[in-house]
Amino acid sequence: MGTIIEAKEFSYSYPRRDNQVLKNLNFKVEEGEFIAIMGRNGAGKSTLTQAFNGVIPHLHGGTIWGNILVDGVCSQETEITEMAQKVGVVLEDPEAQLFTTRVDDEMAFGIENLCLPREEIIERIKWATKVVRLEGFWDREPTALSGGQKQRCAIAATLAMKPKIMVLDEPTSQLDPIGTFEVFDVIKSLKEEYGMTVMVATHKSEHIAEYADRIMVLEAGEIVAFDTPQVIFRNSELLSHVAVRPPQVSALAAYLNSMGQNIKRSDYPLLIEEAEVVIRNLIGGASNGQ
Amino acid sequence: MSILDYHYGDSYVHRMDPRVKMILLVLLTIVVFIISNFYVLVTMFALVLLVWKTAKLPMKNIVRYMKFLLSLVAFLIVLQGLFFSSGDNPVILMHPIIPDVVPVIGGHGTIYLDGILFGLVLGLRLLTLVCIMPIFTMTTTISETALGLVKLGMNYKYAYMTTTALNLIPTLQEETKMIMDAQKMRGFKAFETGKLMEKLRAYVTLVVPLVVGSMRRAQLMGVAMEGRAFGAMKTRTYREDLNLRTRDIVCGVFVMLLCIGVVYFNIRLGGWY
Ligand SMILES: Nc1ncnc2c1ncn2[C@@H]1O[C@H](COP(=O)(O)OP(=O)(O)OP(=O)(O)O)[C@@H](O)[C@H]1O
Ligand SMILES: [Mg+2]
Repeated sequence: MGTIIEAKEFSYSYPRRDNQVLKNLNFKVEEGEFIAIMGRNGAGKSTLTQAFNGVIPHLHGGTIWGNILVDGVCSQETEITEMAQKVGVVLEDPEAQLFTTRVDDEMAFGIENLCLPREEIIERIKWATKVVRLEGFWDREPTALSGGQKQRCAIAATLAMKPKIMVLDEPTSQLDPIGTFEVFDVIKSLKEEYGMTVMVATHKSEHIAEYADRIMVLEAGEIVAFDTPQVIFRNSELLSHVAVRPPQVSALAAYLNSMGQNIKRSDYPLLIEEAEVVIRNLIGGASNGQ
Repeated sequence: MSILDYHYGDSYVHRMDPRVKMILLVLLTIVVFIISNFYVLVTMFALVLLVWKTAKLPMKNIVRYMKFLLSLVAFLIVLQGLFFSSGDNPVILMHPIIPDVVPVIGGHGTIYLDGILFGLVLGLRLLTLVCIMPIFTMTTTISETALGLVKLGMNYKYAYMTTTALNLIPTLQEETKMIMDAQKMRGFKAFETGKLMEKLRAYVTLVVPLVVGSMRRAQLMGVAMEGRAFGAMKTRTYREDLNLRTRDIVCGVFVMLLCIGVVYFNIRLGGWY
């Protein structure tokens, strides 16, 4: 396993704008990692996700400084179509990326561009449809799907190409709790079974706490922290500064502390199971004290 | 739902090889342009209706086209009566609105039977033409169309550009409606109750968001297509293959013979009626 994404002093400003939307980014992502990108609205998450396959700057224009190397290739100097074979980017707006008239055509489009044999194409469509649970919908019109189904369709369309790196921009913004859980489950299995590197821009703290290896926190285009969920979600000061919500159980621990309890910061729970232990200890400690 | 949208179905027309469908579409369009005899046109229109029925396409669309074209035909007939005098079957005599002394355009006020028939023939021809296009667009998916074009020898990049551009039309129609609805919801009444100038101005205000919106959409579509490696290779493989079945050939040949027959009758009968 080596470094698969490396940003070196990368900055970007949109055309006809003076301010940099991404400022001097320096980071490395290892192969097979699951990275979450967090930050408030307008922090630059979507802009960054589009830099990985070169949509920024190729299609939007603007000015770049530095570069991002993706699998050894500079994404700013390579054609999007070539980058697309390494990086699959699922955009924020599902409507904008569905352009065929049938769900299975939508899924076929990317794989067909890779010049794979027909049997393989059919196989992969079946697989991707199953993964996102759209089995009964293959002959439906993508524009006639619900918001959540559209998002799954967009994910499957990219997934079917089996890229080395998947980048997803708020892939669960319109999904119900079960749908959200399923998508994160899929992402996790991609990572585990195929060694895929995954980068997800999302606000779903609970799922990130469970699945992500590291969290990149963006604030006004700068990386203000890039560390494990354990470190990030226990840093209440940082979180309130960047307007990122911690998992509810971590927030509970911080609240209990502010109410006079004494939970060590390194014990702040991230998952429900961890919270159970912490709370049992609290109750136990209280009853022992009596 | 828009007139060019794919209309789900499993009829024979839906399953027909897109190449055959494409060729027949072009052929029929040319034939309808050529024929000028009223009775032949009526026959042609009846045949087109029959195909609509076979493909189970919504008949109410045709009524919609008819309503739209009817006003056009009426306008043509009046125009013809007011400004041109030809033929020798006067039907309605009106007082000339422009006096005789004005050269060329003056002194006309008669609506001739010829004029009416001319308007009808033109209207029917337009109606038939308008009804032929959806037989293709409503029964063929974008990918089938693209694949058909590729198999007919077109470069796949152009094939996809053409077909996705076509697909943008219904999207734009929907967008227009959405913008109008959004404006109405905010209490903007000029579309229904405004005076002519107000209405006109209201439609102009539609243009800006529509143009901006469609440009943005086209750009996003480009992003999405390139983002899925469109154009990465010289060629591309396809999930589905086209196979020219015997019945498609039979049907194609049959329609071609029919077209020859129609053109023959048109020449023999001649004229407009
Ligand atoms: N096409 C564009 N042209 C100019 N500026 C833009 C463009 N797209 C985004 N911006 C600006 O860039 C900044 C970062 O936007 P971006 O969409 O990356 O934020 P984000 O973190 O994805 O926010 P959100 O959580 O709302 O999705 C914002 O200030 C935004 O106004
Ligand atoms: Mg965003």
